[in-house]
Amino acid sequence: MNLPDRTVLENGAVLVSHALPSNPFIAFRGSVPAGVAAEGSDVGVAEFTSRLLLSGTRRRSAAKLADRLEGIGATLEFHNGEELLSFQGRCTRETAAETVRILVECLSGPSFPPKEIERVRGELLNDVRIEADDTRARAFRELARLVFPKDHPYGRDPKGGEAPIRRIRRADIVSFHEAHVGPEGLILAATGDVDRAVLDDAIAAPLSRLRGDEGGPPAIPPPPPHRPGSAWLPMPHKTQVDIAIGAPGVPRRHADYYALNLANLLFGRIGLYGRLGRNLRDEQGLAYYAFSGLDARTAGGMWSISAGVNSANLGKAIESIRAEMDRLRTEPFTLEEITDGKDNQMGSLIVSLERNAEVASELHRMEYYGLGMDFLERYPEIIAGLTGERVRDVARKYFLPSASSMVVAGPVGRTRFRL
Amino acid sequence: MPTRVETLDNGLKVILRPIPDTKALSTWVVYRIGSRNEVPGMTGSTHWVEHMLFKGGGKLGKGDIDKMISRLGGKMNAFTDTDYTMYFETIPAGAMDTALMIESERMRNAAFDPKEVEAERTVVISEREGAENQPDFAVEEELWGLAFHVHPYHWTAIGYKQDLATLDRDPLYRHYLRFYAPNNASLVLVGGFDPAVAMQHIREAFGPLKPETPPDPLRLSEPEQHGERRSDLERPGPADLLSAGWHIPAASHDDIPALVLLTTVLGGWRGTVPFAAGDWQPRSNRLYRALVDTRLATDVGVRQEMKLDPALLIASVTLARGASLDRVEAVLDREVEKLQRAPPPKAELARARQQVRAWARYEQDGVTFQGILLSAGEGLGSWEFGEALLAKVEKVRAEQVRAVARAYLVDAHRTVVRFHAQEVPA
Repeated sequence: MNLPDRTVLENGAVLVSHALPSNPFIAFRGSVPAGVAAEGSDVGVAEFTSRLLLSGTRRRSAAKLADRLEGIGATLEFHNGEELLSFQGRCTRETAAETVRILVECLSGPSFPPKEIERVRGELLNDVRIEADDTRARAFRELARLVFPKDHPYGRDPKGGEAPIRRIRRADIVSFHEAHVGPEGLILAATGDVDRAVLDDAIAAPLSRLRGDEGGPPAIPPPPPHRPGSAWLPMPHKTQVDIAIGAPGVPRRHADYYALNLANLLFGRIGLYGRLGRNLRDEQGLAYYAFSGLDARTAGGMWSISAGVNSANLGKAIESIRAEMDRLRTEPFTLEEITDGKDNQMGSLIVSLERNAEVASELHRMEYYGLGMDFLERYPEIIAGLTGERVRDVARKYFLPSASSMVVAGPVGRTRFRL
Repeated sequence: MPTRVETLDNGLKVILRPIPDTKALSTWVVYRIGSRNEVPGMTGSTHWVEHMLFKGGGKLGKGDIDKMISRLGGKMNAFTDTDYTMYFETIPAGAMDTALMIESERMRNAAFDPKEVEAERTVVISEREGAENQPDFAVEEELWGLAFHVHPYHWTAIGYKQDLATLDRDPLYRHYLRFYAPNNASLVLVGGFDPAVAMQHIREAFGPLKPETPPDPLRLSEPEQHGERRSDLERPGPADLLSAGWHIPAASHDDIPALVLLTTVLGGWRGTVPFAAGDWQPRSNRLYRALVDTRLATDVGVRQEMKLDPALLIASVTLARGASLDRVEAVLDREVEKLQRAPPPKAELARARQQVRAWARYEQDGVTFQGILLSAGEGLGSWEFGEALLAKVEKVRAEQVRAVARAYLVDAHRTVVRFHAQEVPA
């Protein structure tokens, strides 16, 4: 594939793009460094702000914004995360200029109407309650708190919880927005039906008019040391129990990342969830889902296991997960497994980049983590260079039961099992 | 987009959409079998059969499908709907034969090893139990159960737990043999291939398969509903929920395009394919304005279930803390009455039409989504369903939107489920 195009605009914003002419529209994904990590002690303010960016600007009310966006058939969303305030949308080449103008208007001139603030407050409070009633969401929220302790941004609930949501005032939101949302650190990745003319006239031109903060992205501290623990969250009104197990992983730019990513693929992702899925789902029929995941961010990461089981099978499921973790030492990945995993990663370069949305996300990741615009060209070499020994070593190093925390949420009964 | 259609001698319909610049290929097989073809006592059997088709048979050993697709870096899955079941693989285009081999083998040769059937029982029960953890699943199951007394839309595709606990291997296998045949299926290919070469490989892979006696058409139809049906669920949960479903005609009916615009005006449009819209929430619609903007609700959605048989148009609301179900229902009634009283203004109708038009493009995002669009259309009668629908939506007049609101959004044909969230036990 041709290398993606990368342009740094005068205001510091970075525009990356790649044409996919067979997909008949434009998808874009972008971010500014205004996530949880930027909010300091103002817990919850980043999430609050992100939810208000479509709630009206100095020029237009929330209703007028929605009427105009949907009137041209475009979509635009803002979401808050641990590091970033991200945005994404869809439009056509004919509506790209107006869609990006509206994006810039929402980023640079939100009016934060008091009525909308109260609406979002109610929405956040409802979401906190809904998440607290969701076994999997609750287990993972608690797991993140255990793995990233001491109120680290990666361990914090981005919504902040009921008390902060009730406390936040308009002035807090205005000041957070002024300090953190602007062209500095902004990335926009666009793909699909784009060419030079669309990029220059419809996207770069309105984006370059964005003005604002000059503070730069906040430094994200490395997570404090993890002390493995466990938590049991009884939810007797539920039918199924969710198990969440995890431990610190590595930052995205860490030397172990690619080997760990392959180990994770083989352990709990490839096909119907790798070794974990074969054991818990395919052989024992204990769970519809049992898989592992690897998050790698700027300053740290987490690998995790997720499984949903009937409470009668809880002990057996935890024992089986433990057995699969132990097996990484007693029966390390075979050469065949490793070859399959590497083949999968090479092949997925084609398959996982067939959609506009997927390509836009990948372009954004490449820019955000500084992987280089030639990353996809280098990727096969990186994978080919991974030795079996290295993959087995990182699996043994990071997938350790004794170094992991475990959270169980659901109708758990009185018996407590250990990992 | 250029699309070639052929039917093999054994009845398999083949739909080929080559996309020259693409290196990926998405292969789909859609079978005209869904939970509407089940009978009481065997609910969930179609979905369970779908699970069994990943477990080998014929040239495929257990785990082979998984392994072959994984090695290619591909993605695969299957979906059981009320009306059809679909299987797909998206892989690098050069590996077309792998996908064709997998799909031709599992069309007739799935093993249904009794031990594997038994192991899968707890997996499908676990899938259902995961859904049971969500209050909105209880509401959905109650709504369809109440709205349909005769037609198999009475149950959802996952089936009842008591049936999943007692179903045996043999009836499942008979269900498979009865409905999985080339003359009850369509094969869809989208991506980087030459149609002539693809046809040759398809003939080699599927040509030898023998057709079955065509399944009898479904003879059950839901009698007209006379009078509103209501249910009040009281269970632990985080928020009150309201769901109202009105009977609407089958997907092939002439009123469907006007109902699409009615749905969009009332609750926005998120495309016809599940998953495509992600988290995007339309905000320029009447229910969002009347319920979310006014802080009575935190989430609202309207979806038009387009099915082979008459189905439902459903409005779903998550209530804000402190809002009353009576009040929210009154607002919903008021908005429906407004649509019955006056046709939507020109600008509002243009906006709704533009949303439908835009989503028809956004849903073409890559070979996998195009495959699902063509296959789901085929499941409803024709791969051209989506395109034909859009052409008809372009011609709908405002007065027709009012007419379908009057014809279908009537209380006597409505089912309402209210979820009263009870305090979660400590």
